Amino acid sequence: MKDNVISEMDVTTDKIKISARDVQVYYGENHAIKDVSVEIQDKTVTAFIGPSGCGKSTFLRCINRMNDTIDICRVKGDILIEGEDIYDSNVDPVQLRAKVGMVFQKPNPFPKSIYDNVAYGPRIHGLSRNKAELDDIVERALKRAAIWNEVKDRLNAPGTGLSGGQQQRLCIARAIATEPEVLLMDEPCSALDPIATAQVEELIDELRQNYAVVIVTHSMQQAARVSQKTAFFHLGNLVEYGETDKIFTAPEDPRTESYITGRIG
Amino acid sequence: MTDMSKTTAPRNSLLKQDARTVKRNRAEKRFKAYGIAAISAGMLMLVILLSTIIGRGTGAFQQTFLTLDVQLLEAKLDKNGNRDLEEIKKVSTFGYAPLMAAAMEEKVAQTGIVTDLEPKELGDILSKQAAAQLRDFVLENTDLIGTSVEFRFLTNSRVDGYVKGRVTRESIANDKNINVAQLDLVDALRADGALEKRFNLAFITGSDASDARPEAAGMGVSMIGSLFMMLVVLALALPIGVAASIYLEEFAPKNWITDIIEVNISNLAAVPSIVFGILGLAVFINYMHLPNSAPLVGGLVLTLMTLPTIIISTRASLKSVPPSIRDAALGVGASKMQSVFHHVLPLAAPGILTGTIIGLAQALGETAPLLLIGMVGFIASNPPDGIASGLMDPNSAMPAQIYEWAKRADPAFYERAWGGIIILLVFLLTMNAIAVMLRRRFERRW
Repeated sequence: MKDNVISEMDVTTDKIKISARDVQVYYGENHAIKDVSVEIQDKTVTAFIGPSGCGKSTFLRCINRMNDTIDICRVKGDILIEGEDIYDSNVDPVQLRAKVGMVFQKPNPFPKSIYDNVAYGPRIHGLSRNKAELDDIVERALKRAAIWNEVKDRLNAPGTGLSGGQQQRLCIARAIATEPEVLLMDEPCSALDPIATAQVEELIDELRQNYAVVIVTHSMQQAARVSQKTAFFHLGNLVEYGETDKIFTAPEDPRTESYITGRIG
Repeated sequence: MTDMSKTTAPRNSLLKQDARTVKRNRAEKRFKAYGIAAISAGMLMLVILLSTIIGRGTGAFQQTFLTLDVQLLEAKLDKNGNRDLEEIKKVSTFGYAPLMAAAMEEKVAQTGIVTDLEPKELGDILSKQAAAQLRDFVLENTDLIGTSVEFRFLTNSRVDGYVKGRVTRESIANDKNINVAQLDLVDALRADGALEKRFNLAFITGSDASDARPEAAGMGVSMIGSLFMMLVVLALALPIGVAASIYLEEFAPKNWITDIIEVNISNLAAVPSIVFGILGLAVFINYMHLPNSAPLVGGLVLTLMTLPTIIISTRASLKSVPPSIRDAALGVGASKMQSVFHHVLPLAAPGILTGTIIGLAQALGETAPLLLIGMVGFIASNPPDGIASGLMDPNSAMPAQIYEWAKRADPAFYERAWGGIIILLVFLLTMNAIAVMLRRRFERRW
């Protein structure tokens, strides 16, 4: 394993894609996210790390308002995507989620064919005018998700029949088929074996060319391998945020150092 | 380390069970024995039930028939000889009785049976339905008047009972409907082959008959009544039930109002069906003035009864769809409704279908509410013409028909009640089999 090998690619842009200010999240009485402010850059992989229950997944789900589906969840503060407040009352979360794609922890393809899995998003958003265009979109998405060669001969086979790693790449293809601007990944490799993990990580690095990628991970090695920026969450607070190599080699906060050296977690 | 080994307890051999293990194993064996005993008791009851039903009910599907050549005498049926249907219709079934008596006399003479019965008594071994059967035939085939036609007539229920072994020479001592001489005649005709037991389709397709003609009664009309009720239940309960469950499960906020609704739906499922019956009587008949005994009203009442079943099973199957599918749909920007209708509902469909069919099967076998809205009556009418008439005209239902027969005095009706139960069970088993098949089919899609 290339443990702790810092990604060699530097941040290539300074453009701020997502900017969160004083975000608070409550689950009923429980104050899950406290005062989190963070600026996420475009065409960059940003990793959220931290021990279980620290709020990193919760914060990720705020960015495409998936928390709206949880009745007792309340979000305060502002999250802006390119200057637009996504919690504005005029924003329809459905439209937002087309722009901010998401890949979940457990591969969750629809129990439909591989083709229909990828085509579903473009279909409901009306991104294609005819079958040929849709075919094009599906092929492009599957190619970008690096799974085209494995499935091109069986597009009508059920998506649930693929292996775990293939399923996760199919889910990534499904997420990028709607041409999002941001891609959120919630522990995308936690259910995968090391080989599939390596494939997905490679893919994440390529996706960075086009999207702002935010990835939640439990594996610090993974954060070090794929991300350019890292945010460390602890007990609902954003403890430290900065260049990945700096976080892993010279953390400022003692809690960060304790975590990455394995003393807390 | 040597100190440690001193403090540990002496090691027990694995080859010998210790007291605790023996006790635990014994408890497990006892529990298994209880389980097997319970299942055997259940199976035994089922076997007794089914064998009783089949043993007593199969007789109803067979009936004793007598084959006779009847002279359709022009002098009796069409005095003027002009084949005017209106004039022929004026001859009532009483006018046909002499023809039957004559045919019987001829039959007796032909086969050389010696009997001192009067011609009328000879005719009495036939069903009272026979004259009506003859008249219906003549009205449809007026051109055959004057010729001799072979008929297969139902026999009297006592004759049928004698052939099936229900009626014996001893048991008819005080019976005015039949005498020993007639039984002698029956034996002779059986030996001749003219009188025989055969499959009786009219029991399945026919209508109910009056107390005097149990041999002519059939389930057909009540089956149609049940069918129309089931159409009403399906058309109302399925869409209302599924819509209600989807709303409650997927859209409704979780607060005390929805909690109360949920508790009430569960309670409704446990409300005795007769309560729904009296509700139907009060609301649909007394207040809304819908017709008595109509399958529409029966269907509405059964819909009320079936709704909780459908809602509960639909909610259960919606709940069993993994939330990751909802997340996946929402994650690519589907609206709540799209995620439900494109992904959740198709996955829940087998469960919903199963629940609906089980609910329908329950409704099909329900009797109590039908008592209150008057769907237990003597309905000897012909099948309805069209859906409106099927829904609004008085009718019976299968379980109500069985109840009706079971309470009549003549043991011949008792046999038909058991036969009716077989038909009802066949319907229920078929529906349950369809439910199982649908579930298998949809679940195997991937």
